Amino acid sequence: MSLLTSAPPFTLQASNISKSFTSGRVVTPVLHDISLAIRPGELTLISGPSGCGKSTLLAILSGLQQPDRGSASALGHDLSSLDTRALEYFRLRHTGFIFQGFNLFPALTAQQQVELPLSYLGLPSTEVRARAIEALEDVGLGPRMKLRPAELSGGEKQRVAIARAVAKAPELLFADEPTSALDAANGQIVIDILHRIARTRGTTVLCVSHDPRLISNSDRVLTIEDGRILNDQSLPFPPAATVGTQEHSV
Amino acid sequence: MVALARLTLVHEWRRFLPAMIAVGFAGLLQLLQAALVLGIFGSASVYITGSTADLWVGYPGTQSVNLGRPIDAGVEMRLRMDADVLRVESFRWVDADWRGARDTGGVSVFVSGIDAGPDGLMFARALPTALRARLAEPGAVIVDRADLSTLGVNLRDAATINGQRVRVVGVTSGLRALGGVNVLASLATARQLDTTTAADRITYLVAKVRDPAQAGAVAARLSDGRAFGNYAVWTAKQFAQRSQMYWMFDTGAGAGVLFLAAIVFLVGAVITSQTLVAAVVGSIREYATLNALGVGVNALRKVVMEQAFWVGALGLLGSSVLAGLFFALAAHYNVPVQLSPVAAVACLFLSMLLALVSGLAAIRTLRHADPASLLR
Repeated sequence: MSLLTSAPPFTLQASNISKSFTSGRVVTPVLHDISLAIRPGELTLISGPSGCGKSTLLAILSGLQQPDRGSASALGHDLSSLDTRALEYFRLRHTGFIFQGFNLFPALTAQQQVELPLSYLGLPSTEVRARAIEALEDVGLGPRMKLRPAELSGGEKQRVAIARAVAKAPELLFADEPTSALDAANGQIVIDILHRIARTRGTTVLCVSHDPRLISNSDRVLTIEDGRILNDQSLPFPPAATVGTQEHSV
Repeated sequence: MVALARLTLVHEWRRFLPAMIAVGFAGLLQLLQAALVLGIFGSASVYITGSTADLWVGYPGTQSVNLGRPIDAGVEMRLRMDADVLRVESFRWVDADWRGARDTGGVSVFVSGIDAGPDGLMFARALPTALRARLAEPGAVIVDRADLSTLGVNLRDAATINGQRVRVVGVTSGLRALGGVNVLASLATARQLDTTTAADRITYLVAKVRDPAQAGAVAARLSDGRAFGNYAVWTAKQFAQRSQMYWMFDTGAGAGVLFLAAIVFLVGAVITSQTLVAAVVGSIREYATLNALGVGVNALRKVVMEQAFWVGALGLLGSSVLAGLFFALAAHYNVPVQLSPVAAVACLFLSMLLALVSGLAAIRTLRHADPASLLR
């Protein structure tokens, strides 16, 4: 992590990235020459109407897709220089993902869902278990960790997905529309958890959403439209998102 | 390590059931087919495998034991001259026509004329000594219990073979033949029934050697002399294989069996691979999420292959149990089934291969587990 201390305090950087999709003869540009840098310890939100390219930007910054032009780097690594296997290893060590659909295996209990990716880190099984339990307790699911997805509510499922993503203690956490499948109360719980992770662990949390509730709870909001950054707004006095998850847990 | 493959298999067993049934049926069919083929074609060589002779001497080029042509009985002298030969016996094969007490029309029978003495080599494994002694009575014959209804007789009934009167003095088992009915008689009785062969000729000579392990060398030595006429010497094992191969391949029956096995394999593989593909597709978003979290594609492939393995193992467990039941049933109804451990393992291995090949086909579906596709 020497890169982190010597480099400017940015963990995610994009310089002049462009991306377009080809469908038959039609080439649709999605991102136009975007440059940005994102700091750790903050909840950064990419906001904009659907189809504006925000998910594509997230995919490029997280190394899931390569840009047509420009370069993206994460934790000082140029993502385009890593091959598929190196990217997988990078993601295993450094990144967590939360998706709109919770994507939990129906056969596994909450605890097993969280243990599964952890077990590929090569940790001893006692530590895998301890970390999974800790992560689930952290999102307020301690009493429900033996339940399968079918027995959990939507909000609880998303919290399992968050626990699965953060149990690895990643430096980077990517979330794609994490609240849009949830009702107001559960959405707020998820927002608070994401915010707390950024604050207490110094994690870089990059979130893509058009949920207005998230805008008011973010440290920084990037507004994108038609593949360009329209607005980059840092909220100097972010609302105190210190509400503990335990208070929300059912 | 979370056992994703096994936990999913247990939780979503309904989804995997068609694959398990497909593998199970493929395994069951291969097992039954192999047992029937080995049982039925094994009976082509029952004369050899049911006897304790080490050497068989017959007409050169004889392809199967039922196709023997007479050789000069003087060859017996050549055999007896060899120091390693302990005992020589004649075996007379007579194709004959049977008419039973009940009206069954003519039945084609194979009369085996054998030495009825207590040390006789022929059918020593199928015939208890006391039963064999009864053949000494003129016109006495012994048949397989399962053939009684075909022959239209009961124990101790009289019948005619080639127009000559015979009497069933005993029944035994393990004598069923291919394409006809085996009838055991003494050499003297068989000679009477044989209307075509000259008296100084015999279909086969069988011999016991001092060291059965040296049977091959003795056979080679005995094959040399041509002074006693045209004859060939085989070890019992060679001749049994020769007979089975003739029935299996030269009659076309074996090709049919192999064709059926290939069809079973193909259909089983299609069903199994489609079921596994459906299971992968059903969890494709979860697999993609794992890949996003850094779990490599190879690790995901391992999960699919593990599922294929368990599907195969459970399917084969089912087929083994069912096959055991069928074999018990077959034994009860005197159906000739016979399964060597090697053949059984080969059948199970083939079916496991089917499951694993299907797993490999399903693995290709994992290329759709692209985490970028979740960001839509």
